[in-house]
Amino acid sequence: MKQFVTRRLGYSLLSLLVLSLTIFFFVRVTGDPAALLVEPGASEDDIAAIHHKFGLDKPLWAQYGLFMMSLLRGDFGQSFYYQTPVLDLYFDRLPNSLLLALVAMAFSLAVGIPTGILAAVRVGRFWDSAGKLFALLGLSLPSFFVGLVLILLFSVYLGWLPSSGSGGVLHILMPAFALGWYFAAAHMRLTRSSMLEVLGSEYVKLARLKGLPQSWVIGKHAFKNALIPVVTLAGINLVLMINVAVVVETVFAWPGVGRLLYEGISFRDFPVVQGIVIMGGTMIVVVNLLVDVVYAVIDPRIRLEK
Amino acid sequence: MTVTTRRRDVLALAALGMAAGAVRPAKAAAPSGQLTVGVHITLAPTWLDPAETAGIITPFMVLYALHDAVAKPMPQGNPSPSLAESWSAGEDGLSYEFVLRKGAKFHNGEPVTADDVKFSFERYRGAAHGLLKERVAAVETPDPQRVVFKLKNPWPDFITFYTVASGAGWVVPRKYVEKVGEDGFKKAPIGAGPYKFVSFTPGIELVMEAFDGYWRKTPSVKRIVMKVIPDESTRLAALKNGEVDIAYSIRAELAEELQRTPGLTLRPTVGSAPYYMYFPEQWDPKSPWHDQRVRLATKFALDYNTINKALTLGHSHITGSVIPENFEFYEKLAPPVYDPDKARQLLAEAGHPGGFDAGFYTCDAAYANLGEAVINYLGEVGIRAKLRPLERAAFFKGYADKKYKNIIQGASGAFGNAATRLEEFVVKGGNYAYGSYPEIDELFPLQAVELDRAKRAAILTKMQHLLDDRTMYVSIWQLAFISGVGPRLAESGFGLIKGFVYTAPYEDITLKSA
Repeated sequence: MKQFVTRRLGYSLLSLLVLSLTIFFFVRVTGDPAALLVEPGASEDDIAAIHHKFGLDKPLWAQYGLFMMSLLRGDFGQSFYYQTPVLDLYFDRLPNSLLLALVAMAFSLAVGIPTGILAAVRVGRFWDSAGKLFALLGLSLPSFFVGLVLILLFSVYLGWLPSSGSGGVLHILMPAFALGWYFAAAHMRLTRSSMLEVLGSEYVKLARLKGLPQSWVIGKHAFKNALIPVVTLAGINLVLMINVAVVVETVFAWPGVGRLLYEGISFRDFPVVQGIVIMGGTMIVVVNLLVDVVYAVIDPRIRLEK
Repeated sequence: MTVTTRRRDVLALAALGMAAGAVRPAKAAAPSGQLTVGVHITLAPTWLDPAETAGIITPFMVLYALHDAVAKPMPQGNPSPSLAESWSAGEDGLSYEFVLRKGAKFHNGEPVTADDVKFSFERYRGAAHGLLKERVAAVETPDPQRVVFKLKNPWPDFITFYTVASGAGWVVPRKYVEKVGEDGFKKAPIGAGPYKFVSFTPGIELVMEAFDGYWRKTPSVKRIVMKVIPDESTRLAALKNGEVDIAYSIRAELAEELQRTPGLTLRPTVGSAPYYMYFPEQWDPKSPWHDQRVRLATKFALDYNTINKALTLGHSHITGSVIPENFEFYEKLAPPVYDPDKARQLLAEAGHPGGFDAGFYTCDAAYANLGEAVINYLGEVGIRAKLRPLERAAFFKGYADKKYKNIIQGASGAFGNAATRLEEFVVKGGNYAYGSYPEIDELFPLQAVELDRAKRAAILTKMQHLLDDRTMYVSIWQLAFISGVGPRLAESGFGLIKGFVYTAPYEDITLKSA
């Protein structure tokens, strides 16, 4: 077991190293941040001063070396645009993103799981078709479109909800719906397919043969096992909701990490983009590592794999 | 210490200063109400500190509220006396003296002194600071109300750079900055402007409250909240819903929607960014663009008014110039005329009766919609160009590196005056000049050392006419920035300061209910 965990930990660190390399060079391909901090026509001296200030006049390998050394000290650097430590910015925005992600996740599970179960139980009938239509719309309607329609309806025409910002319960309803909508459809599809698989298994047939009521078979025997892949996916989705809800947070001016990422990309604020991607990547790697370890505890065959 | 001054300047500027100060402390009603502004761009902490002012207009949106300058663009003039009630230049052009206004104070109650002005200048590290430091030999403070800038050589543009084209003239309290440090100042800035800092969430929201000790007048609105709403549609929805009173940057179809909405008002303001076509191959005898008639044909090919109506609801200005009309030494030229027949005739005379393939029309992707309209009109007369939109930074890098051919659609919103714009874009060695004309080049150094304003203006006027005569550029428009105003505002502040696209001065803004 110790060897298994050590090996997985090694893979995780390697993944983070590759991620740091990729994002470091990828953001630099997008162009020169100085050009976005001055007006067109600014003098060469002004642009050179910005390069010097942010260390962009150093060779690329030297910039990467400094970046990694800072990272190992837990320093994600200073934002070019905000001139504030990236971690301060990240942790200022994180509570808002967590709140939005949790509400959106609750909505997506509350909608996705029951509709998925209903579609699986009534497979090939009206509720299954309705569920498939819901999944199709959820996965194909872009969240910015859903967001704008919600704003038009509930803010502009009905005047019930604020169009943007944060601060109260009313502020979170529309962004949580717009963000959770896509994930509700994804959770519905996975719940449906997982339930269909479980409902066709021998032990469920046996439960039925024993004459147990349908609700008992579905709730007690099928649902619990069908839920495992859904919960695993929901964990990863929660990390995505926290870190990359870029469109929804931008449309609703929600002050979260996704909007910070959008600002970082817009201003070529390399440290901000790098910081958010590495924080998000770290969360995903940690979740995966935990899932691997839990699987290995449950199933000894996994930890014996080379 | 004695300073040689030119007294007629003193008198003229003192009169202007009196005009600016004439509105002073009339015991107005106490400030009340809240103004919420929906801002289109992310608010940065650097905007709270004048020392960090980059060469862009946006930080001034905040500076006009929190801080004040020795002199700055105001409704009375550009620049107009503010913390200084007057200034004067030495006869030899080597010194400038500013006399500070008595009674001006910072938000912590301390008076604004010459020492603060000197400290702020020396602390300044924003746009053009290298130029200012290179040319200013010393800053002297003979008494608490007087500041004297000593230059190394005569520099007629000193006032432009110190008061308009940079943040160097904006004043911060020395004692406070030294007490709290640089980071402490950005977290809780104290200025001498009409509004006091209350709170700031980077990128999200800035809250300010009226300063009743402001020298010019006590603001009418008690609280100003600047909320960043990045999405244009959401900004408009927030304005319609009454969540904000002002929504910056509402364009094209959304601007039309705003115009149709009862209670909302469209407020276009024309900034300092003329858009133009530039022909980098005009100095290459083998290129069709070498023939001036071809360049002139493009000028007659565009239906300027139709493009303006379609894209900016007719609010951009068709000036015919690449120098912003609000700049010092701007010379008004004859506006261009849409005459496609004349364009075809010129092309035929130049040996292109059936038109020609003009290659790429390279532009900043953010304004590709303008490029599309232009190449459609060029195509109508036979100039067949292909649109090549590039991401903004890449576009300007390629432009400055002189990599483009055929046609460039360029623009500049940089601060300055006609001379600074000509230096960058027209004369030999300019960052964006692919070539030049000797008759224009030889005039440039003459104006740079000319201390007589009238004579200097005459030289710069001549340069602008020569530029037009050679059809070096074809101006398309001076872009209008469109914002929306809600029903609660009596005076929004838009357009009060010429060439400034945001609302200001804040102390002039009034609410209907106030």
